[in-house]
Amino acid sequence: MVESALLAFGVLVVLLTLGVPLPYCFGGGIMVMVFVGGATMKGAMLWGFGQLSSPVLLAIPLFVLAGTIMSSSGIAGALLKFVDVFVSRIKGGLGVVATVSCAIIGAISGSGLTGIAAIGPILIPEMERKGYPRAYATALIANSSILGLLIPPSVTMIVYGWVTDTSILACFLATLGPGLFIMAAFSATNLVWARKFPLVLDAPVSFGGFVSEASSRALIAVPALVMPVLILGGIYGGVMTPTEAAAVSVIYALPVGFFIYRGLTMRALFDAGKEAGTAVGAIMIMILFSLILSQMLVLQNAPQALVDTIFGFTTDRTLLLILVNVMLFLLGMVVNDITAIILVAPLLMPLMQAIDVSPVQFAAIIGVNTAMGGVTPPYASILYLGARIGKVKVTQVIRPAMILLVVGYLPVVFLTSFWPSLSLAIPTFFGY
Amino acid sequence: MMDRLFKIVLTGLLLIVAFFQAVQVVTRYVLEIPMMGLEEMLIYPTLWLYVLGSVNASREDSQIRANVLDVFLKTQRARLKLAVTAEVISLGIVAWLTWWGWDFFRYSLRVWKESPTLYVPTFYSDCAVFIGLLLMTLWTVKSLIKHVRVLAAHNPSLDAEVNNG
Amino acid sequence: ANLKISHVRPQGAQVDKDLRVFAEQVTQATGGKLKFDLFPANALGDYTVVQERISVGAVDMALQPVATGVNKRLQIGALPYLATDWPSAKRVFGKGSPLRAAMEDLYAKQDITVLAAYPVYFGGISLNKPPVNPGDPDAKKGLKLRVPPIKSFQLLADSIGYIGSPLPFSEAFTAVQTGVVDGVIGSGAEGYYASFRDVTKYYLPMNTHFEVWYLLINGEVLNDMDKADRAKLEEAAATFETSRWAAAEADQAGNEKKLQDAGAQLVPVSAEALAANARNARAQVWPEIIKDMGEAWARPIVDSVTK
Ligand code: NA
Ligand code: NA
Repeated sequence: MVESALLAFGVLVVLLTLGVPLPYCFGGGIMVMVFVGGATMKGAMLWGFGQLSSPVLLAIPLFVLAGTIMSSSGIAGALLKFVDVFVSRIKGGLGVVATVSCAIIGAISGSGLTGIAAIGPILIPEMERKGYPRAYATALIANSSILGLLIPPSVTMIVYGWVTDTSILACFLATLGPGLFIMAAFSATNLVWARKFPLVLDAPVSFGGFVSEASSRALIAVPALVMPVLILGGIYGGVMTPTEAAAVSVIYALPVGFFIYRGLTMRALFDAGKEAGTAVGAIMIMILFSLILSQMLVLQNAPQALVDTIFGFTTDRTLLLILVNVMLFLLGMVVNDITAIILVAPLLMPLMQAIDVSPVQFAAIIGVNTAMGGVTPPYASILYLGARIGKVKVTQVIRPAMILLVVGYLPVVFLTSFWPSLSLAIPTFFGY
Repeated sequence: MMDRLFKIVLTGLLLIVAFFQAVQVVTRYVLEIPMMGLEEMLIYPTLWLYVLGSVNASREDSQIRANVLDVFLKTQRARLKLAVTAEVISLGIVAWLTWWGWDFFRYSLRVWKESPTLYVPTFYSDCAVFIGLLLMTLWTVKSLIKHVRVLAAHNPSLDAEVNNG
Repeated sequence: ANLKISHVRPQGAQVDKDLRVFAEQVTQATGGKLKFDLFPANALGDYTVVQERISVGAVDMALQPVATGVNKRLQIGALPYLATDWPSAKRVFGKGSPLRAAMEDLYAKQDITVLAAYPVYFGGISLNKPPVNPGDPDAKKGLKLRVPPIKSFQLLADSIGYIGSPLPFSEAFTAVQTGVVDGVIGSGAEGYYASFRDVTKYYLPMNTHFEVWYLLINGEVLNDMDKADRAKLEEAAATFETSRWAAAEADQAGNEKKLQDAGAQLVPVSAEALAANARNARAQVWPEIIKDMGEAWARPIVDSVTK
């Protein structure tokens, strides 16, 4: 059973290397499970297609469309010109804006795909214009997009709270500390890395010049600034859900783009629609087949086998925590975050209790690890969507993405495991 | 022509989805009479959007790939051979998946499941799987033929220039 | 191969424990010939998908709510206030009742056999804001409740004075937290404790509906089974149901207690208030759903269990 799972994984990687389109790579893995592993395709399409209609995914195409319309209509331009007043004289400033924007988007959405979907179409071209390599800009935003799962709310934490009988609010707060650290780590890494790029910086300006520049650009940006206010206010004011906010931002962007900034034309709208639809479609069909494949692994108890194999031979606390991270990392390579949590959290819970890791800290550990799964190939849906939106090759974006991950993300993963306060301080402050 | 069609259909589907969602905010928050069955109706354009978006990616030959091997190949001819190999494999896989899409198509037609409140048959979205995969298969065939032709007409002596260029 | 059983609650939940006991009994009684793999927490898909997967034979068994997509007549058990107290619940949903027979028939059409019923709880309302006139179904409360995508619940919320707001489950928690909706309807103390306890300030045990899950098995799997094994399985299933009927009421009280311990205020509802709410729901929801199911088919069954 484990053998066929490994073979399926191997075939998946080989097909990927050959340049077979990603959905078919997962299709190849499925064929291995069927012809070698004895899995059945009966009802598999039914199951997979049912998963695709999940409301969690519904906001993604809308956010991509909103971002693309904003980008081509002049709305994003006005916003960026305003932001530029503050960062255009700092080397790497725009990269920090990208990361922080993803964190802010993360505070309204519970999915890891939203940041790249909404921010990517706007900031990738802008960063390139300012001298960042396109692949780097894509990698930075895709990686920062994971913050959507760490800054509350988060779909994975809702699922974790449910399967482990832990307070969902406590779980939300548990990943906040690591999330903020990761945001800081990405920003810092970006500031260092950006020194290597031939960035276009504005000349220094006097304070008076700065103020007049800021106020004149702010005035132009007002209709554009209404957009984030509308989204954040709408969600936190209890008017709408994040998915609805995505739709409202599309509806708002249309007249503003057509009549106020006038950058939007019918042609540009149809181009944006096709871009957004194609990017999202390509990702969703990949997700469909990857879900079917991971469901076949689930039916054969492969995740349980993985846990048993890894935890058979040690009781040392440090080693166990490292192994938990390694195992979650491996799992994140093949199944999506929610599947991983549903299957593995209850299996690991007794082990965590035995080594005195609280359920809330474990929420953060499992949260940072499974979130990372979105950018680690072969199942790297966030990275792939980034490549599609940024129009760069996956092979080009993987390198900077992995470097950012190792420098900015991995240290926080280990801190989360070995420094309980990082995840527990905020929940404790709020009384959990 | 085909490009125009996809532009209109994909944009139309997205705007329908956005419009439905926005309507729900108004009916719930402003009018305080949320519309029943709106979210279940949303699923139909959404699923068609996913499928047709992917079909368009196949048509434009812009499905996401991670062709790691390609980076290491020196000659244009070797790259073309790799592309043909990848396409033959893709064709085998997508054709097999299409067969199972057909199986799902027939199943959905037979059980004729309905949505929970408005009783709209789910067949209208379920059938997208088969239709989409079939179109993806056809475009894979087309792109395979194209690459085989290019490979057959390829002059190996040009490779030197490619490498230097 | 081991029989795969799906269910809808996390590992360690009461239903999970009960199912493990059942599985263990069958395995022992058949001398290890029937073994089971449990898949908790919807790991094989939500109950609507799993029901179809059982029907096509991709999953063997499940313990879960009724999915009505393939046949809308399966909604019959979901009518609000079909049962109003535990004795009537047993009469309506228990073995041998006309409704139970109808359910078994409908499932059989999907090649699914009902092995047992699993009474779960009486439904209630979870609120994040103070209740408004809970006893008077005609009072417009101005409170929005998240309703699941099930027609009878959407109609129910409106019939007892709330504003029913359909929202996906994955967005429900945050929606209550931010105030998009003021509470949730469609589940009971157990479900609210598991998924909404951080945002449940008040719990109203309104007995809105009686939640019953069914232990299902693919018909072919059952028929292909050795006769003696099958008898053992059915015997264990009967015991499983009987012991659950005996334990369900106390279990519900336990879950209400857990909600209170988590900080929710239990708002008692008088018998008159319950009767008034039931009257409204029956007058406004039943005709609509009965019409959907087919008057000629549904009416006699409903009449025979509510007499
Ligand atoms: Na978030
Ligand atoms: Na991954």
